[in-house]
Amino acid sequence: MAKRIALAQLSSCWGCDQSLVDLHLGLLDVLPKLDIVFWPTVVDYKLADLEALPNRSVHIGMVEGSCRTKEDLHLLKVMREKCKTLVAWGSCSIFGGVQGLANQWDLKELLERKFIQAETVTDPRIPDENMPGFTEHITPNPQIVECDVLLPGCPPTSENTLDALTALLTNKPFDLPTKTVCDQCPMERKEKHIKKFKRNYEGNIEAGKCILDQGYLCLGFATMGLCGAQCPSVTTPCKGCFGPTPIMSDHGAKIISALGAVAEMEPEELKGSFPDPIGSFYFTDYAASYLSKMRGKERGQEH
Amino acid sequence: MTAASQQITKSSKAKRKAKGEFEPRIVAFCCNWCSYAGADLAGTSRMQMPPNARIIRVNCTGRINVSFILDALHQGADGVLISGCHPGDCHYTSGNLKMQGRFTLLRHLVKEAGLHPDRVHLQWASAAEGDVFTQGITAMVERIKKIGPNKVKER
Repeated sequence: MAKRIALAQLSSCWGCDQSLVDLHLGLLDVLPKLDIVFWPTVVDYKLADLEALPNRSVHIGMVEGSCRTKEDLHLLKVMREKCKTLVAWGSCSIFGGVQGLANQWDLKELLERKFIQAETVTDPRIPDENMPGFTEHITPNPQIVECDVLLPGCPPTSENTLDALTALLTNKPFDLPTKTVCDQCPMERKEKHIKKFKRNYEGNIEAGKCILDQGYLCLGFATMGLCGAQCPSVTTPCKGCFGPTPIMSDHGAKIISALGAVAEMEPEELKGSFPDPIGSFYFTDYAASYLSKMRGKERGQEH
Repeated sequence: MTAASQQITKSSKAKRKAKGEFEPRIVAFCCNWCSYAGADLAGTSRMQMPPNARIIRVNCTGRINVSFILDALHQGADGVLISGCHPGDCHYTSGNLKMQGRFTLLRHLVKEAGLHPDRVHLQWASAAEGDVFTQGITAMVERIKKIGPNKVKER
């Protein structure tokens, strides 16, 4: 029997869908086993169609994106009601995503910067008609509703999504690895003596050698190894988009702890190497960090 | 400290609380070989210091994961003090220097996130410096009193 599936998109780039569609002919193996009941990205379904379904009538629900608008929040709660198994799909869903970086500022400042002060704006006004309204703070979806399966990545690779779907279709568990990107990385590693950190545009990264050893901030050591070390394999430093492994409590804390141990630099010099520590250390998971949760509590965010 | 003197401290603290004065809660991570022994010396020498710090003994400041500090703040600590051996005196050669690098980055991060950077502080106090430890705690309490309570706690 085909399993009923709903795929919902909250605030995000919809890149997770793109990654799923990138399976190309591989989709032929999965699609016959699925009965799509909601997927606005590719099929013309409206929110009312999902709301009309009986509760817990959908076998698998995949939620991508984070709750930046109140409509997102509503859709997420509806998805939880209708689906038996809810998958938080992609880093936005699990950790808040790049949007989570906005938690550094209050909503008022964000709206003014975007709609009033932006250099290219000619008719400055904050849109409020026919709008669902914004949420004050980005909260990761698993803190709002219970999520049964977590699949991180920005985006998760096509294979990751296929693996998760196959596991769900065959009633097998889908557990996240505690290994890191470094465990999957083919680059040659040596004893670390980092004397200077370089920005990515400075010099050329040598192929075949550990990127961190060469003095570039590659976050593979603190990032979940699920992607097959795609970026470091082609001499591009890991940005940490899969977030911390399940055994790490805070991504940035782990990165700072490790940098303190391997950098042979004066403290002030080390500080100067990272002008934007939040952007560098919490690319997709700032909303899930201790610091952001503290701001959330100050704003009285409880769902 | 005798039981009588302890009672006096308690009642004066209670008085300050009744007045509505802010009493900061400070988590102090002390390394086993220097600062913890320094704190012990301050105690046995009956040096006076505010009772606001909760001391947690760690083997070395290099053992402190940055997430311990962030978690303490998240759980409502008003300040976190890290006290270790002087540079060059680390029992494990370089643990305190590693902490120094981490601390500089952490302070930078905390400031960027919108918290007062003085909520976290790093100091050096050896096993013989009970007075330095006492002054460190006193100064920390004064600093935090100026900054005010951690807003996480109020809710």
